[in-house]
Amino acid sequence: MNAASVTVLPRRTPPSILVVENDVRIRCLVSDELRASDFKVLEASHAEDALTVLDAVRIDLLFIALDPSGEQSGLEVARLVRMRRMPTRVILAIGDGMLAKAAAEDFGLILSKPYQTSDIVELVIRTLNWPEAPA
Amino acid sequence: MSTTSTNIPLRADAPAPTVLVVEDEVLIRLVIADYLRECGYKVHEAVSGEEAIAILQAPEVSIDVVFSDVEMPGDMDGFALARWVRANKPGLQVILTSGAERSADIAATLCEAGPLMKKPYASQDVVDRIRQLAARAKRS
Repeated sequence: MNAASVTVLPRRTPPSILVVENDVRIRCLVSDELRASDFKVLEASHAEDALTVLDAVRIDLLFIALDPSGEQSGLEVARLVRMRRMPTRVILAIGDGMLAKAAAEDFGLILSKPYQTSDIVELVIRTLNWPEAPA
Repeated sequence: MSTTSTNIPLRADAPAPTVLVVEDEVLIRLVIADYLRECGYKVHEAVSGEEAIAILQAPEVSIDVVFSDVEMPGDMDGFALARWVRANKPGLQVILTSGAERSADIAATLCEAGPLMKKPYASQDVVDRIRQLAARAKRS
């Protein structure tokens, strides 16, 4: 088979995104916006649940909003994704002045809090290249 | 009329009920929430009674049915949440579920649809219960 005969089929299933945010109303808002853009969205309220999901389900993109009181655990999840070489992109939402900011910059794309839900949707679409442009 | 992979029709001309799933076990919550979405329902998720109340009080969110576990961490279990709903959101339907042997009588006094659903439940049974409640609400 030569290269010219290869047909690139469009991806059929939407990427799965795990939204980790401890504020339920923000989590709800962000998840709804992403679902409206046809992503499959899973929700977790904290790092421990995020790890449970990551162990059980293939996740294409992990969005973690770091809580000032528990930012270290969120970073631990990002570190684990990298350590395990998971095929998971990471976006971290960071508040201004957070101590973890410098460390977080090592792990993925950064979104500064407060953010608009449209910002996260746009960033996710760009990061995952979804929907893929027709060949 | 739209159909789902499980052949559960939802009328295209009627808005699908919005369900609040309250469950602290993340994988259980994901499975039932995913199933309900595949069936055409709009679903919000909460991990505790406190989160459920935060959603129920949010002006931008409208919930038709609460599907809640009984045993949850924190100060508010499913029974307490159902009592809160009865006091603050009369008319909002509640379905309780539990894996423990608890008094069905308590659930019966709190849920219009009768005693609690025992875990493990079949996802389809949850959908059937929601449809019953939605039909009852429409008649009343």
